[in-house]
Amino acid sequence: MTTATAMLVDNPFFVLGLGTEASRIEVERESQKLLGMLELGFAEVQSYATPLGPRPRTAEAVRAAVAALRDPYQRLVAELWAHHAPPAAAEPPAREAEPSAPPRDGLRRQLGWRP
Amino acid sequence: MYALPYWVLHWLRQAAINARRGNRRTRYLAWSVAAGVANGLMISLGVAFVLVFRSVWWIALPMLALMVLPVVANPLIRFVLVPAGAQRLAYYAGRISRPGADPVAYALCAAAWASRDGAAIAWVEARRDLRLPLGDAEIVTTGLLAAARGDAATARGLLRSVAMIVEDHPAVRELAGEWLACDAAARGAWRELADDASEMRWPATPLTYLLEGVALHRTHAPAAPPARELWARWLLAPRHRVTRALVGEALTCEPDAPDARAQSTGDATGAAPLPHAVAAHLAFEARPATAASLAATVAAWDAALGDAGTRAWLARRALELDAPPGAVERAIGDVAGAVTNDLARRAEAAQLGAPSASGPVGHGLTRRLRHGRLDALEAAFSRWADRRHDGSAHPAIDEWREFVALWTAYQAVVTAGGIELRRLAFPHAFSKGSHMAAWLWNKREEYALSHAISTWLLAEALAVGDAEAIELGHRNCALAVPTRLGRIEH
Repeated sequence: MTTATAMLVDNPFFVLGLGTEASRIEVERESQKLLGMLELGFAEVQSYATPLGPRPRTAEAVRAAVAALRDPYQRLVAELWAHHAPPAAAEPPAREAEPSAPPRDGLRRQLGWRP
Repeated sequence: MYALPYWVLHWLRQAAINARRGNRRTRYLAWSVAAGVANGLMISLGVAFVLVFRSVWWIALPMLALMVLPVVANPLIRFVLVPAGAQRLAYYAGRISRPGADPVAYALCAAAWASRDGAAIAWVEARRDLRLPLGDAEIVTTGLLAAARGDAATARGLLRSVAMIVEDHPAVRELAGEWLACDAAARGAWRELADDASEMRWPATPLTYLLEGVALHRTHAPAAPPARELWARWLLAPRHRVTRALVGEALTCEPDAPDARAQSTGDATGAAPLPHAVAAHLAFEARPATAASLAATVAAWDAALGDAGTRAWLARRALELDAPPGAVERAIGDVAGAVTNDLARRAEAAQLGAPSASGPVGHGLTRRLRHGRLDALEAAFSRWADRRHDGSAHPAIDEWREFVALWTAYQAVVTAGGIELRRLAFPHAFSKGSHMAAWLWNKREEYALSHAISTWLLAEALAVGDAEAIELGHRNCALAVPTRLGRIEH
C-alpha cells in the first residue's frame, strides 16, 4: 500500500540527491557515480537527506530510483512530491508523546486501590 | 434497655447514608456527620453494655461482637484488611457490615479489593461463580480482580459497564465509583470525573466526593464547590496526607492554556496550497492525532489537489516530460490515494471520524473509515450471535465481557461516524442483539444481562428513529427483571 510518507522518504530525487530540474543525462550520470561510490564503501554516500531525516542509501534503492525516473509518469509523480516537500531535515522529527501519559504514578495505590 | 436505642441509632445511621447517596451538595456533609455521630453512639452503647455486663463474659463478648463489629467493619476493611491483603477476612467483615439486603454482594467486592495474588483471586472467583444469575456485584468483583492483576483498562471498562445493569447494590456501586474516581485522578482525566460528578453516575463515598470536587475545580466547572466546602470534603475523606496536595493544586490551578498545537496548524496558511498540504501532513504524522488536526490536514490536501495552480504546474510538467494522456488526473488520484492511506491508518488508530469534506481526500477517507469499521462491527456482532447455535455457552461474566467489548466498539464507530453511520450500523446490531437478549433471558436465565442489552438497543432505536425496534424494545424493557433485590419493573 503506497503512503504519502513512503512517497517522500523513497522519492527518487532524494535517493539520488538531485533537484527536480535534473535532466535524464544528469540522472544517469549521478546514479553511476553513486553506484560506484557505494561499491567502494565511501562513507559520504551511505545515506541521503529527506524531509523526514536521513535514510540509508543502498545500491538497490539507487537502481530503483533511476528506473522510476526513466518512466515519464513515475517521474511526474516523483517531481510533484519532491518539488513541494519542505527542506531536508538533519534528524527524523521527534514524535510528540500522547497526552494520556499517567501524570501521577502510584496515586491509585496511595488512595488505597490497585493497580 | 440497650437494644432499642441501638437499633434506632442503626436505623438513623442507615437513613443518613442512604440520604447522602442521592446528594452531591452541602447536605452530603451534613448526612455524613449524622452517620458518623450515629456510629460513635452505637460503639459507645456497645462498650457501655460490655462494662455493665463485664462479670457475665459469655453475654458481654457476643454482644460486643454483635453491636460494635458491624460498625467498625468498613474502616477495618479499608485501613487494615485491604492493605494486609486479607481477602478472606475482608469477605467476612463485608458480610457482617450490614451493607443492605444482599450482604454477600458487598462481601465479594471487599474480598476482591483485598486480593493480591493468584490464590486470593482464585478464591474470590470461586465464590463469585457460585452466584447466578449475573448482577452488578459480580461485575464489580471481576473489575476489581482485573485491577488486582494490574489490568486497569479491563477494570475501567467493566466497572463503567455496571451503569447498564438494573440490579443496584448501592454499597457495591460506591466501591465501583471510588475506584473509577481514583483511576481518573491518577490519569489526570479530570473532565471525565467532573462529568461523572455532574451526572451523579455513582453514589459517592467521602473519597469520591472529594475527588469529584477537585475535578470540578480543575475543570473550572460552574458547579465547583467553594474552597471552604472543598476543605470540608477533605476533612471527611480518608488519606489526608495524599489528598491535601490534590486540594491545594485544585484551588490554585489556572484555566488550561489554549492548545499550542492547534494554533500551529495555521502557520503555513500563507504558503502555496501544495507545500502547505505536505507540511500539514508531516505535522499530523508527528503529533498525537486529534479530530481538529485531521480535519485541517484533509482540508489542506483537498484545497491543494483542487487548486488550479497545482493542476497547471502538473499539466506543464506532463507536457515537458512527454507523459501519457490523462497523466494529470491519474497523478492527482495516486497522490490522493497515498495521502488517504496515511490518514486512514492514523484515524483508525486514534478512533477518529472522517471530517466533512468535499475533495478527493475527504471523500476517500469517509469511504475507507465507514466501510472498514462497519464491516468489522457487523462481523463481530455476527460471531457473537452465532454462538447461540453452536452450543458454546460461556460463563455469564464472559458473556457480559463480550457484550461490553461489542458495545464499546459500536460506541467508537458511531461516535466517529455520526448519525449517518449510526443508522447504518444499527439494523445489524439490533437483529443480532435482540436474538442474544432473548436467548440469555429464556435459555440462560441471565435476566439483568438480557435487560441491559434490550435497554441499550431501545436507546439506540430511539436515537435512529426505528419504529419497529422501538416497539419491540419497549415490550422487552417492560418485563419485570428478577434480581436478588426483588423483581424490578420499569
